[in-house]
Amino acid sequence: MNDLRVVLAVARKDLLHELRSRAATVATLFFSAVTLVMMAFALGREQHVLTAAAPGVLWVALTFAGVIAAAQNFQADLEEGAFEQLLLYPVPRAAIFLGKLLANWLYLTVLGLLLTPVAIMLYGAQAGTGAWYVILAALVLGTLGLATIATFYAGLTANLQAREALLPVLMFPIIVPVLLGAVRTTEAVLGRSELDLAGGWLQMLAGFDLVYFVVCTALFHFVVDE
Amino acid sequence: MNDVPAIRLSGLTRRMGNQLVLRGVDLEVAAGRLVVLRGGNGAGKTTLLKVLATRLRPTGGSAQLFGHDVLKEAAEVRSRIGLLSVMGGSYPVLSARENLHIAADLSGKDRQGVEGLLDLVGLSSAADKFVRTYSSGMKKRLGLARLMLIDPDLWLLDEPYAALDDAGKRLVDEVVSGARQRGRTLLMASHESDRDALRPDAVLQLDDGRLKLAPEAAA
Repeated sequence: MNDLRVVLAVARKDLLHELRSRAATVATLFFSAVTLVMMAFALGREQHVLTAAAPGVLWVALTFAGVIAAAQNFQADLEEGAFEQLLLYPVPRAAIFLGKLLANWLYLTVLGLLLTPVAIMLYGAQAGTGAWYVILAALVLGTLGLATIATFYAGLTANLQAREALLPVLMFPIIVPVLLGAVRTTEAVLGRSELDLAGGWLQMLAGFDLVYFVVCTALFHFVVDE
Repeated sequence: MNDVPAIRLSGLTRRMGNQLVLRGVDLEVAAGRLVVLRGGNGAGKTTLLKVLATRLRPTGGSAQLFGHDVLKEAAEVRSRIGLLSVMGGSYPVLSARENLHIAADLSGKDRQGVEGLLDLVGLSSAADKFVRTYSSGMKKRLGLARLMLIDPDLWLLDEPYAALDDAGKRLVDEVVSGARQRGRTLLMASHESDRDALRPDAVLQLDDGRLKLAPEAAA
């Protein structure tokens, strides 16, 4: 059968499940909002400090949200043996991974689109003309890298008892290049007037995304099969 | 006529932790047969079904379904099997109809058959309710509908009568009979091998990981 149809069916199912249960939505929105607000208070009133911190705080909030969303995605499947049933269908493991990745990526991108204006307003950052395209590109590529790693490791730890503790421990060292690229790109366009620097960081981000995408898709069957 | 057996197990073993759950199981089942697997709790029935469903790797020996090795040709095996598991395998915050639509999409079947199947298993009136509101018996009926939708060559049934009322058990009998008439092969782990409507071709006993003919069948 058409693999694209499988990818879309899995993604649609995961998004519908989240829309109904709102398990990840409640947790990630609450966590992200608290992170942005608390860090804004903690950093004080000096505008240059707030502006410099805004990209980092935004991506830290998105990274933790990515962990929660991906973990919840697999947890919902495991509840009544639905993930085992999913693995019994005659479909490629890679298509299942890509479907779950697509759902997580869309979810994180929407979350990023909601959080970015909030962070800019809260931290008083300035986005120059033309910066919005770069921020959008950083969001799309950054959340793709985050979602790829988070989906892969959430699948790896889904059946483990200590999954909540293991998922971030395993994932965070791997996510550093993506996080660095995303933070630097966002930093280049928020208040620093270094738009020309953003191109290089975006290229690095796209490069790491490609590597992670290929490796995780190719290795996913080792994660879900014995 | 294809002479390749539906199931061929040779010295199949499976270790779970320190325990050897399957100890050299040998079995050959011709296509189109119904074989019932009996055994106490922990005898290894579910483990055997999961090995055949490619969800557990054999520790030793070999298992072939329709000539395909479960380890080396898992994708081909999965295209010919379906498993009714004890867990149910449905998404709790989706409706029965949505669950069957997903099954149709992922198994390459037409969604048009879904309504008829919901009616057949008695879930038409509850088709739009979330599965988490269902009783165990209703979840089992939904699992049966999913298996009928996929209609694989080999049906693996793990305790299909569990949690069902009398009407539900009669439904299982009818579904099994229908599958046999269509030439499907069925391997059923069940304590209810003596049901009049079932009339299996063989009843096997799994004790301590070893397979043998059930006492009443051997008599």
